[in-house]
Amino acid sequence: MNDANEKSAAKKRVVLLAGDAERRQLIEDHPEAFLVSENLPLRANLSVLENITVVLQFRTNTYIGEANDAAWKLLTQVGHTACAEQRDPDLTYEERFVAKLLRAIVLAPPIILIDRPAQLLPDTNYPFFLNKLLLALEGRFEQCWILDYAWNAPLYNSRA
Amino acid sequence: MTALEAWLSQRGHGFFEWFNSWVRVFRFATIAIAGALSPSTYNKATRLVMQKQIYFTAWQILPGFVAFAALFSFLIIEIVGSTARNYGLYDYALELLMRILVVEILPMVTALFVALRTGAAINTEVALMKIQNELDALQRMGIDPLRLELLPRVVGGTISVLALTAVNIVVALWLTHLVLIDLHPWTLTNGDFTRLIGKVFDLPALLVLWLKTLVFGFAVTVIPIAEALSTPQKLFHAPISVLRGMVRLFFSLMMIEAVALAIVYV
Repeated sequence: MNDANEKSAAKKRVVLLAGDAERRQLIEDHPEAFLVSENLPLRANLSVLENITVVLQFRTNTYIGEANDAAWKLLTQVGHTACAEQRDPDLTYEERFVAKLLRAIVLAPPIILIDRPAQLLPDTNYPFFLNKLLLALEGRFEQCWILDYAWNAPLYNSRA
Repeated sequence: MTALEAWLSQRGHGFFEWFNSWVRVFRFATIAIAGALSPSTYNKATRLVMQKQIYFTAWQILPGFVAFAALFSFLIIEIVGSTARNYGLYDYALELLMRILVVEILPMVTALFVALRTGAAINTEVALMKIQNELDALQRMGIDPLRLELLPRVVGGTISVLALTAVNIVVALWLTHLVLIDLHPWTLTNGDFTRLIGKVFDLPALLVLWLKTLVFGFAVTVIPIAEALSTPQKLFHAPISVLRGMVRLFFSLMMIEAVALAIVYV
């Protein structure tokens, strides 16, 4: 494993992996991390807002109104309020990714792992998109690691 | 000999599969009882899911279902009343209706209706959550899916069955009074009605009635959830899971009714 692109000081880093076994091992080694992954879908019968709210409400036992406000603030911060009431099947790849990321970020966990962004954002220039999104969420997370395969390294080096 | 061996091993395998699925149901039932009775299960998020479950299972269908139950009860009361009159057994019609319609048929019809409407929906939803990995996703976010998604459905479903049965029983009793006494004042009196209520609904009968309804309510949520949780993570297993859950639930409801009848009458 080698770190290819270190941006935003220690906050965001791209972890380039040699293969799937290494990826699995890294995820297993960080059970405290919140994972944003294709394998961990949103709750299909909840809207984007509810998907974010439910994490906060369950984990911190807050009132629904307060949890909704916090989730709405996050959606506003990244400029995706239009999809707040939509459910998973109606979302674009980008909206689904944002919902998954905000669901992970809402509790400000120590580490957020974005697992194989190419799978989550197949139609997007994802290094650029991730940069923009994480910049908008500056101050909302401690560490964000992007797990990608080594053969995608050139994507992170280009200035799109 | 080989054919016999193959047949026997096939039967044996089928039996063990059937037995194991019942073990899974009872295991989940035990967990659900313990969870439902544990105060730590409940927080603002789980209470919200429970409220939604009660809303969708009981409140949303209340007017329509009560209207149906009232019409159904009215027909049974009319049939029993007129038949009893023809045979000169009108005095017994009241007791017959209370014992058959109010104590046996209405709780059963309510449980069957909730099973068809809510049980099937819960079975499908939980099976899809299992297949699409949504339960694991919740777990990974530090949310216990049992507490957030499953137990509130069990508690909400059980409360809904109890509430709907209570409302239907009150409506049926009122209709029985209306048809047999108010519309035929020369036959039975209000005193007969009150006395019979006291006779039919004595403490043991009431206990059996509400215990049976409680078990009905528990079964219509626990059995579909237990079946859904054992669904393999392949999409084509979803309809098989619902089919199995519903068949198992139907036979369970029949067994519960038979046991309740045996306790009261045998």
